[in-house]
Amino acid sequence: MAAMSPSERRLQKELMSLMKEPPPGVTVDGDQASQNLTLWTVHMEGVPGTLYEGEKFVLQFKFTNKYPFDSPEVTFIGNNIPIHPHVYSNGHICLSILTDDWSPALSVQSVCLSIVSMLSSCKEKKRPPDNSFYVKTCNKNPKKTKWWYHDDSV
Amino acid sequence: MAETSEARASASAPGGDAGGEDDKHDERMLECNICLDTARDAVVSMCGHLFCWPCLHQWLETRPSRQVCPVCKAAISRDKVIPLYGRGNTKQEDPRNKVPPRPAGQRTEPENTSGFPGFGFGEGFHMSFGIGAFPFGVFTSTFNFGDPRPSAAPRGTAQYDEEQFLSKIFLWVAILFVLWLIFA
Repeated sequence: MAAMSPSERRLQKELMSLMKEPPPGVTVDGDQASQNLTLWTVHMEGVPGTLYEGEKFVLQFKFTNKYPFDSPEVTFIGNNIPIHPHVYSNGHICLSILTDDWSPALSVQSVCLSIVSMLSSCKEKKRPPDNSFYVKTCNKNPKKTKWWYHDDSV
Repeated sequence: MAETSEARASASAPGGDAGGEDDKHDERMLECNICLDTARDAVVSMCGHLFCWPCLHQWLETRPSRQVCPVCKAAISRDKVIPLYGRGNTKQEDPRNKVPPRPAGQRTEPENTSGFPGFGFGEGFHMSFGIGAFPFGVFTSTFNFGDPRPSAAPRGTAQYDEEQFLSKIFLWVAILFVLWLIFA
């Protein structure tokens, strides 16, 4: 506790507040995160009244020691990857705040809220048009992808 | 640090005294928007957002080409933040001087190339041929040299001599032409 790096200090604070006051439908695996502050697992439930009602998803956050100046690596993991025009079947998410529009004032909580909102505003469940090509050719780290953000409607 | 605030929050949880809740809120008001600790060497942006200067400096260095406020994405720079001095702060030193300011960018202007390279006569020489009803055409071409054209060559240079020589040639050509018209 005494000799924590600035990124660990901030992650510790975020973990405490996320466990205490989580956004609706979001729960963080606190035990796992406190053992390894750089790898978090977040459980997410589909919001009632949306296309994803009743579904359960799992998000993985990976942090570097440059956090919060460097954005976290966020992917869906597990068996149930949401079918959404901005989510590839390998769990990669096309969301500008995860790369270009990242800001150190954002947090795990605000990223979770953005993803909940992205899912909730979806009108039609379908994969991105270039899904099969992207999944075959992409890097394991979604931050290495040169994302092209063009659809602000969902 | 985080555990103490946790303990305090649970102590003042449901039905607890409202004062504790207010204190906690006040404390959070003075947290840096980047490290989430109480801001040290505090600076505030023009858009009103509070940061530790070391935190904000590191963010500005992270994306030097696109310096925006982390909270509201307004344009921000080293010169557009105001240091905050509390009463307990004895040395009123600008926090911005603590982190070494980054060196200023350097760029040189491109070579100045003139738009028209010229034919070797240099600047200031203009040739004009008047086309018009007979005597006036000749007069326009001949007497142009008296006009205040841009930058006539200064007296004494080779260019001045050249221009005077050409001027005389044209004058003689004109005179011969007029004489030929009269006598022929």
